Amino acid sequence: MDILAYIDPGSGSLLLQAIVAGLLAIPFFFRRTIGGFVDRLRGGSGEAPGSDRAEPTPAEASSADAEEPRR
Amino acid sequence: MRETSRGPSVEPASFRDPSGYVFRRDGVLHRQVQAAFADDWRAFTDGGLAASLIADGLLVEHEAADVGLAALPGAAAVIRPRELPLISYPYEWSFSQLREAALLTLELQRRALAAGMRLKDASAYNIQFDRGRPILIDTLSFEVAPPTEPWPAYRQFCEHFLAPLALIAYRDPRCALMLREFIDGIPVDLAARLLPGRTRLRPALLVHLHLHAGAQRRSTRAAPTAAHPTPRRMSALGQEALLDSLRRAIEGLRWTPGGHWTQYGIQTSYTERGAASKRKIVERMLTVSRPAVVWDMGANVGTYSTVAAGEGRSVIAFDRDAASVEHHWRQLSAEARASVLPLVMDLSNPSPALGWGLEERRSLVQRGPADVILALALVHHLAIGNNVPLDRVAAFFARLGRRAIVEFVPKEDPMSRHLLAARRDVFPDYTLDGFRAAFGRTFSIVDEAPVEDSLRTLFLLEARPSA
Repeated sequence: MDILAYIDPGSGSLLLQAIVAGLLAIPFFFRRTIGGFVDRLRGGSGEAPGSDRAEPTPAEASSADAEEPRR
Repeated sequence: MRETSRGPSVEPASFRDPSGYVFRRDGVLHRQVQAAFADDWRAFTDGGLAASLIADGLLVEHEAADVGLAALPGAAAVIRPRELPLISYPYEWSFSQLREAALLTLELQRRALAAGMRLKDASAYNIQFDRGRPILIDTLSFEVAPPTEPWPAYRQFCEHFLAPLALIAYRDPRCALMLREFIDGIPVDLAARLLPGRTRLRPALLVHLHLHAGAQRRSTRAAPTAAHPTPRRMSALGQEALLDSLRRAIEGLRWTPGGHWTQYGIQTSYTERGAASKRKIVERMLTVSRPAVVWDMGANVGTYSTVAAGEGRSVIAFDRDAASVEHHWRQLSAEARASVLPLVMDLSNPSPALGWGLEERRSLVQRGPADVILALALVHHLAIGNNVPLDRVAAFFARLGRRAIVEFVPKEDPMSRHLLAARRDVFPDYTLDGFRAAFGRTFSIVDEAPVEDSLRTLFLLEARPSA
C-alpha cells in the first residue's frame, strides 16, 4: 500500500506509527470500555477518552518532573 | 498586496500543496481548488464536515465564488475565505499558544477520521489565532482516505508541535526560537538528541520522539529499493489510539514561566499619580488617532495593550520575553483575547522574511503597517540598551506604524540610570531635544505631553508621507 501524500510522510515514521498504533489500541480499547462503564455506573455520559478531560493523564499525574524549574 | 497591474497574484507561500492556490484579486483573498482535488473537496463540503468545523469555530469561514475568478488554470472551484487581520507564525507564539494549536490539529484529525476523511498535513503554519482562539486557515487540508492507512502527517505533527513543546518544557523556553530556523518543524532526531535522557522515561515522548528518531535513522539506512515501503495497515481503533496518545503527550507537557516576569508588574518607576497620568495621556492620544489596529511594541505583560484594546480595536502585543508573553496570554480572559494577541518579538532582531525565495513567511514590516504603534518605556532599551541611534529608532518605527505613541525616558530616569550603571555614557544626543530632532526627521509631532510626577514625556507622532 503506497501512501500518496504531498508532504513526505517518512517511511520510518509510517512504519513506527503503524506498530505503535497496534500496541496502543489494546490499552486504549480497555480504557474506553472501562471508562465508559465506570461513567455509566456514576450516571455519567460514558464519553470516549478522546473527550474525557477530567481524568488526569499519566503525564499530569507525574507532572512533578515536568514542572521542576529549569535553568 | 504584491498584486501586479490589475491581474490576480498568487500568494508566494502557496505552492507546496498542489490541490489549490491562494491568490489575491483586486486585493481580496481567494483560494482556488484544483480539478484533481475536486472529489475530496466535494466530500469535505457536501459531507457536512466543513460546515460542522466552521460552526464550531475550528475552521475559517469562506463563501463560494465564481470559478471563473481562478488565478491559474485547472480550477474546479473558487472560494473567498475570511481574511484575518494579522498572520502570525509559530516562532512568534508562546508555549501555551503552540500547545493550543497542537490540540486543535489533533481534534481536527479526530473529527476528520470520524467523517471518513483525514488531515493531510499537520503544519503549524495552517493554524492562526483568531479572536483569541486557534483556527485552521487551510480549507483544503482534508482528503478522503481509507481508515486503514497510517496518517501521513504524523511526522509533521511531531516536528511542528511535539518536538518544540517538549524542548521548551524539558530544556529551555528559548528552544522555541529554533522554529525560525527549522521552518518545517524541528527534526525528531535533533529533538531526541537535545532532550534530556529522562524524557525516555515518559512513554509518549519515548515513542513519538526517541523511537521515532530511531525508526527514521533505520529507514534512511535501508536499501534504496525500500523507497516505497509497505507500511502495515492500521485499524480504526489504532488511529484513534494514536491520536489519543499524541493528545496525552501534548497535554502532559507543561511549562511555567520562571519567577522573573512577576517582577515586571512592580518594576516600574511610576508613582500612582504618574501611572494614572500616563494612562490618561495614552488614552487621549489613541482616541484622537482612531486606529483599528494597534501594535504594542514592548507590551510586557500587557498593561497598556488592555488600555489600547477599547473601542473595538485589535491589538497585537509584542514582547521579546517569552515568559512575559506566556504570562500575558494566560491571564487574558476569553473576551480580552478576542481583541489582544500577545506574540514574541525581539524588536532589535524582528521576524525576517523566510523560506523559499524569502517569500514564504513574511517579515514583521511586510505584515504592517499598523495604524498606531505604542512604544512605551521602550526607547531607552533600544537607544541605550542596544546602542541604536535615535534617528534609526524613528526610521524603523515609521515603517511599523502610520502613527506612533512614543514615551521618552530621559537619562535621569531611574530605569535609564539602571541601564547606564555599568557602562560608559556614549549617548550625548539622548536628550529631550535630541529626541525631538531625531524623530522630527521621519515624523511630525502631533502632540507632546509630560507625564505628571515623572521625568518622562509622551509623544504622538505621525509618519511623514515620504518616510
